[in-house]
Amino acid sequence: MGNPALSFVAIELLTGLATAAVLFLVSCGLSLIFGVTRIVNFAHGSFYMLGAYIAYSLVSRAGGPVGFWGGLLLASAAVGLIGVAMEVFVLRRLYGGPELFPLLATFGVVLVVEDAVLAIWGPQDLLGPRAPGLKGAIEVFGHRFPSYELFLIALGVGVAGGLWLLVHRTRWGTLVRAATQDWEMVGALGVRQATLFTGVFFVGAFLAGLGGAVQLPLEAADHQMDLSIIIEAFVVVVVGGMGSIAGAFLASVIIGELQTFGILVFPKLTLVLIFVVMAVVLVIRPQGLLGRPQPEAGMNRAVEVGTGAGFQVPAVLLYTLCALVLAVPLVSGNYGRVVLTEVATLSLFAASLYFMMGPGGLVSFGHAAYFGLGAYGVALLVAKLGWGMAAALAAAGVLAGVGALVFGWFCVRLSGVYFAMLTLAFAQMVWAAAVQWDALTGGDNGVLGVWPAPWAGNKLVFCYLALGLCGGCVALLRRVLRAPFGYTLRAGRDSALRCDAIGIDVRRHQWLAFSLAGLFAGISGGLYALSKGGVFPTVMSVSRSIDAIVMVLLGGLETMAGSPVGAAVFTGLREQIGSLTDYWRAVVGAIIIALVIAFPRGIVGFIGARAARLAQGGR
Amino acid sequence: MSLLTVNGLAKSFGAVAALNGVSFELGEGEILALIGPNGAGKTTCLNILGGQLRPERGSIRLNGRELVGLPARRLCRLGVGRTFQIAAVFGSMTVRENVQMALIAGRRRVLGLWRPAGALYVEEAIELLERVGMADQAERLCGLLAYGDLKRVELAIALANWPVVLLMDEPTAGMAPEERRALMRLSAEIARERRMGILFTEHDMDVVFAHADRIIVLDRGEIIAEGAPSRVRQDARVREVYLGQVAGAA
Amino acid sequence: MLSVRGLNTFYGQAHILSDLELEVARGEVVVLLGRNGAGKSTTLKSVIGLVRPVCGEIRFHGRSIRGLPPYAVSRLGIGYVPEERRIFTELTVMENLEVGRRPARPGAPGWTVDRIFALFPNLGEMRWRGAAMMSGGEQQMLAVARTLMGNPALLLLDEPSEGLAPLIVSRMAQMVRELKSEGLTVVLAEQNLRFAALVGDRAYVIEKGRIRHSGTMTQLAADEPSWAAYLAV
Repeated sequence: MGNPALSFVAIELLTGLATAAVLFLVSCGLSLIFGVTRIVNFAHGSFYMLGAYIAYSLVSRAGGPVGFWGGLLLASAAVGLIGVAMEVFVLRRLYGGPELFPLLATFGVVLVVEDAVLAIWGPQDLLGPRAPGLKGAIEVFGHRFPSYELFLIALGVGVAGGLWLLVHRTRWGTLVRAATQDWEMVGALGVRQATLFTGVFFVGAFLAGLGGAVQLPLEAADHQMDLSIIIEAFVVVVVGGMGSIAGAFLASVIIGELQTFGILVFPKLTLVLIFVVMAVVLVIRPQGLLGRPQPEAGMNRAVEVGTGAGFQVPAVLLYTLCALVLAVPLVSGNYGRVVLTEVATLSLFAASLYFMMGPGGLVSFGHAAYFGLGAYGVALLVAKLGWGMAAALAAAGVLAGVGALVFGWFCVRLSGVYFAMLTLAFAQMVWAAAVQWDALTGGDNGVLGVWPAPWAGNKLVFCYLALGLCGGCVALLRRVLRAPFGYTLRAGRDSALRCDAIGIDVRRHQWLAFSLAGLFAGISGGLYALSKGGVFPTVMSVSRSIDAIVMVLLGGLETMAGSPVGAAVFTGLREQIGSLTDYWRAVVGAIIIALVIAFPRGIVGFIGARAARLAQGGR
Repeated sequence: MSLLTVNGLAKSFGAVAALNGVSFELGEGEILALIGPNGAGKTTCLNILGGQLRPERGSIRLNGRELVGLPARRLCRLGVGRTFQIAAVFGSMTVRENVQMALIAGRRRVLGLWRPAGALYVEEAIELLERVGMADQAERLCGLLAYGDLKRVELAIALANWPVVLLMDEPTAGMAPEERRALMRLSAEIARERRMGILFTEHDMDVVFAHADRIIVLDRGEIIAEGAPSRVRQDARVREVYLGQVAGAA
Repeated sequence: MLSVRGLNTFYGQAHILSDLELEVARGEVVVLLGRNGAGKSTTLKSVIGLVRPVCGEIRFHGRSIRGLPPYAVSRLGIGYVPEERRIFTELTVMENLEVGRRPARPGAPGWTVDRIFALFPNLGEMRWRGAAMMSGGEQQMLAVARTLMGNPALLLLDEPSEGLAPLIVSRMAQMVRELKSEGLTVVLAEQNLRFAALVGDRAYVIEKGRIRHSGTMTQLAADEPSWAAYLAV
């Protein structure tokens, strides 16, 4: 190749393939696990991270007991066993339940693993040694190309081939493919489902661990690698088709190349570009490029909603509680006022998610996007354009509402985990824009100097402002739920079939509810920015979206009153535990796992069920 | 007078023809049963009429208006009511709220954001519930009802917006024998007083022969017999279809 | 061999089986006769463990199997062929058989692929074909063959004749007789009376989840008018 431009493209293609190889190692296992168990494994990124860290410990001392290559394999095997442990001790209790609970439980594992890694390996980035024998570079098309990256490409292809043989040429693989199609029938033929699932988790976790381990000589192991790879792997799996290994291969190549060339063409927009590809694929071909259409799972299976057995929070209790809360800022110091302000804003945030998640059955994994749109909206309007506080808050609500209107139009076309994934993708897109578009958003430095109007500058006044505004908005949402709009939303969740037969356009209604929820999330985000005096991209990170889900689940899906309670308990716990230990995330992770296993109906739902039982017993 | 006119309906799934040129009519106040062995195409036929499926060929006219290609939510506005094999109701709502929901949807009030839904159309809802004998359970949650009662609630929902044709897919499946008779007697009464046509599929032959004015027998997507119950009962082909055929035997 | 007493099964609120009783002796072909929705399939699913009965007793070789998961019931020697066949359409004929393969029970000759193809010659001719490309009759045979690979002592067959042309139905009947001569016990759910008459030793007539009539095939044939109404129009 004499043409320098062409040979440059060829080298970039190879670089993209090396990226794709690692991506494939992680995403093929994710896809395999989903195909067989129908579980979207958030912890797959943690497996990848653990692979890197464990490999570091095994190979960092030159010529360690098992050598470089032995260390990589051993690390992968260890991660495989961790995957097995997760399946046996956590997920096995959740089979047959609502499809979103395993997803949440694996997110709990993510948090626990993050803190475990922090505790064991410390906060610093760790760079592994270079691979023996592959330290140099090879001349390719007149350019020097690292030989280790060539090895990665070969490994990716080799694993793809090996996995193909495993799945198509062994009894185990035949069972896996049969179970992907109809695991119940496989069970009726005498195959023990649990054993098969455990095996699938071992293979998936092993490959993710391998992905992390082989990445070590190229990039230092750090504490963000789990979430960054899992989001990319989700994109790969969704684009390629959930459960399709060939699809994961194809999509890994597409995404790997897109990243490599994206940096050259749109250096600011690579992340956005990837999510745009995902959104386009999901809308045009919801099952992914090589996926098979999924049978309609029905949205109401996404979460378990009790019949709500006549449980209402007594009005007296509600008003007494409100009065008590209103008295707190008068007696507490400024610290208490700040915490209460945060509880108020998060209550509205959680309530807006509850609005679509409880009565609507629409579980969003990206609700933080609208919180963030509101926060950035207020921040930019106040700090950069000098708008007044009230006008900025109103505009923030509108901005978030419009954002939800646009994204929601796509999202409501899907259901269940696909809906959750698409909301997550859109949220990551907005997050990526906030990180990368620093001319507008200040990038990771955020926007500072976002202060309330002078009259509300006092902590006490602002606390009452937040309580009043959020309380009012929550009451408004509650009112809407009791109006025909809310009834219709519930009707769509209970029976889309019946809705259709009495003339209701369920999809349009869900779209409107999605937008309304976004609008109120935006207002809460705006208030949040004002209370903190600034915003950073973390206001719309994945973990904030999950925090909101945890708050709603803590409060329970039976009643709107649960969400503020959940927000208060969550914030209170964080303040308490945060002062005692550095491992707050692990505690949240454990709470999530305990919640989905033991208290799927949440605190208020749990108390309500108890109260109902007592009342029945008394009769 | 003929209310619903179905002509040459055809639908296949893959290589299997589920319906192959089915034509019939349904008159005002008439109760028409659609029967046949498994896989004969009964549910397919009902789903096409209800707008859940789209036929490949054929026409469906309601009072002269073509219905093919319209989604279920449009059909309901033109007067097609529907009950399902597994009662489709809103489990998290009370019996009264279920009927109110149907009334709210029928009057296009679903976007109301302020007035509590529980206060809308209460009297009409209770009236409908009285008609199906469920008024005394109006405040109970649907998720907690006995199955037979659930079917009556579903009937009230389907009747809420005055359909001219009611499609019922196995209305009595899963019910006790006494409940079956009561439900069908009720449906028949309402059909006659409202001059509404009912088309239903059913496995329980007692129900079919006791309540249908006319019976259509489907087998492998085609009508093999049609007429009054007494005639259908004596039809040799119908008997053969129900008892099965084996080459070289029979 | 199989004994079912006082079985009650619900789907949600719908009562499907009420106080169902069945007895099956070794080597018999027993037919459950009834129309659609009578409860035949639910009976078989209750035995294999795909649905959970609310109460009642299911014993296999004297051992209670109610509440066991399907894989455990299957490993005790009960094979199940579902009405919808549930062939793995993504897999070839050979792979479908592989999924069903289990070790032979002690004392009984195990089914091998060769023996299967001797019983179903046309499956042998398409062993590498994807199951999605097969006709309804071929899929039915594959479903039976796949279950046989698990070496069951008792075979539960749910409507093997459904939707098949008369010629294929008689081939099915021949197959059931051959399996009986191999020593298999068969419980067959059917609405095709002619087919039932060709293969059955005894029959139970089920209607609305209850046994309405039972007896040997010859007894039933003599007494047809008194129960045939449960099947016909």
